[in-house]
Amino acid sequence: MQKIAVQVDDLTVAYNYKPVLWDIDLEIPEGVLMAIVGPNGAGKSTLIKSILGILKPIAGSISIYGKPYEKQRSLVAYVPQKGSVDWDFPTTALDVVMMGTYGSLGWVKRPGQKEKKAALEALEQVGMLPFKNRQISQLSGGQQQRIFLARALVQDASIYFMDEPFQGVDATTEIAIINILKALRKANKTVVVVHHDLQTVPEYFDWVTFLNVKKIATGPVKDIFNDDNLTKTYGINYKVSIQK
Amino acid sequence: MSSAQIEIQVIASLVAVACAIPGTFLVLRKMAMISDAISHSILPGLVIGFFITQDLNSPMLILLAAVTGVLTVVLVEQIQKTGLVKEDTAIGLVFPALFSIGVIMIAKNANDVHLDVDAVLLGELAFAPFDRLIVSGVDIGPKSLWIIGVILLITIALLFAFFKELKLSTFDAGLATSLGFSPVVIHYGLMTVSSITTVGAFDAVGAILVVALMIAPAASAYLLTTDLKKMLLLSIVFGVFSAISGYWVAHWLDASIAGSITTMLGLLFLIVYLFAPSKGLIAVMYREKQQKIEVSLLTFLLHLKNHTEENERHVNHLREHINWQKIRAKTVVDLALKNNMITIDNHIVSLTEKGDEFTSQAIDYIITNQDTQIEDMKDDFFLFRG
Ligand SMILES: Nc1ncnc2c1ncn2[C@@H]1O[C@H](COP(=O)(O)OP(=O)(O)OP(=O)(O)O)[C@@H](O)[C@H]1O
Ligand SMILES: [Mg+2]
Repeated sequence: MQKIAVQVDDLTVAYNYKPVLWDIDLEIPEGVLMAIVGPNGAGKSTLIKSILGILKPIAGSISIYGKPYEKQRSLVAYVPQKGSVDWDFPTTALDVVMMGTYGSLGWVKRPGQKEKKAALEALEQVGMLPFKNRQISQLSGGQQQRIFLARALVQDASIYFMDEPFQGVDATTEIAIINILKALRKANKTVVVVHHDLQTVPEYFDWVTFLNVKKIATGPVKDIFNDDNLTKTYGINYKVSIQK
Repeated sequence: MSSAQIEIQVIASLVAVACAIPGTFLVLRKMAMISDAISHSILPGLVIGFFITQDLNSPMLILLAAVTGVLTVVLVEQIQKTGLVKEDTAIGLVFPALFSIGVIMIAKNANDVHLDVDAVLLGELAFAPFDRLIVSGVDIGPKSLWIIGVILLITIALLFAFFKELKLSTFDAGLATSLGFSPVVIHYGLMTVSSITTVGAFDAVGAILVVALMIAPAASAYLLTTDLKKMLLLSIVFGVFSAISGYWVAHWLDASIAGSITTMLGLLFLIVYLFAPSKGLIAVMYREKQQKIEVSLLTFLLHLKNHTEENERHVNHLREHINWQKIRAKTVVDLALKNNMITIDNHIVSLTEKGDEFTSQAIDYIITNQDTQIEDMKDDFFLFRG
């Protein structure tokens, strides 16, 4: 039996009293590359933010390798939805990637040569080294997404949560990103990705969770990625649109 | 220069630096209005503090007033959280209420308190050198100099210690939380520093100048740089420059010092807003015009590429056909000629080899939607720009 990387029990989250996640139970096994799918407003981002302690749930518990998140921060990396930050902020690509090292530094301590080297390597990995000194607003949407990915890579975590890393990227970048994710899985890392393109789920991922306020299903793509679950999640008949 | 004159300039400069540091982060967090709210709503805190301590410069009074400042922020956030009103409305509800409570308290006790509302809003830098700090019989300088000096030192120490945390939580609060840096702590830390700075500075320079010194230099610097450290430095330089030049303007015009400094800050911002190299109004307008001409050029080149027949490429026909005004047509044709994209032979326009290659590449990029590459391509092909 595989180890469980992330365990979510009875999670309920609400903004202003209206639950957007309802009694979610979820186990994410170690070493899977998992897609979270669901319509807009299904609570996908909310689920990730709750696991990472960014939102306080009104009920339920979350554990990372059996311990609460606060004790396991260094094991977890996070790529937020791209629109969640101000890209006009006065800073460079390299500097944003360096932010990934702040967690291991702790309070007050400044990043030094070691952190810079790690950040440069991560930039290299996502093919963004030539842009390291660019101000972040002068990067294209796909390049900004790569910068966020590099920032997560530099955290050198065991579990990666990514909120729509393929948003607004072209085909080449998408392939580059998925190859990096697959390499992470090969290294026995756990990767959880909020994903919108249902067509590519079977090709990219080996595990999938259907979410729409409640958890509809979770498991291996080959077993549960079917019309029945898609219909339950999206409320329309998917028989025609998805060909496997 | 008399020593009083020097002291006034030093005090004004220290206040400018102490304001520019938190101001930079307030501007980046789009919280400029909050400093306005804090600066007004600390008034009741000051009055109560004054009743207790009977001393306008006691640290206790500064702390009490700073607490009112932070309380303002909490109140604004609580009102906003109800979801009934937006942040600016919440600010608009809280600070006039607190400020007027302060005004009423002063009016009711006008006899005992030598505080007046004008002084609170405008301060009186000119009097700052007369209020001396005497330690065991020795005059060690104006009180406000010491107060703002201490506040500035604390601010700088905090900035150095928590620069990385401030930057991270300002840019990406979500990541900051997930990495274990509590953005809430940072947020209230910043609010506390802003409040203390406001209280410490307002006695010398008044509430309006404090707000101006927090926001205007940072807003100007924001338009000029894309590096946070440079933005901090520039805000400080702008603040100090306005403080000193404002002092001399007031001196020559025999006007209020705080008013002159605020005017200098306004002028400085206006100049930067108009002339900043890439984000300034003129640069933006120039860029838009240039882009328009480049698009026209591209349209023109595409037309030439699509039509081999001579009558479509006659100079006069082109004008009618693409339907441009004479001036614009001339600009575009000149630009194309200058860059060797076209030749004109007997009034017939033809693409050169370079023009042909440029057009094909441009079509490719437009079809594949790679706008950024078009920019790079322009750099490769253009000798002169529009
Ligand atoms: N800060 C907030 N305050 C109030 N409601 C919110 C807030 N953030 C999200 N919501 C609501 O919670 C629900 C779930 O939002 P969430 O962002 O988790 O959806 P999502 O599945 O990530 O959607 P998308 O595919 O559009 O990113 C939505 O109905 C949204 O309107
Ligand atoms: Mg989302």
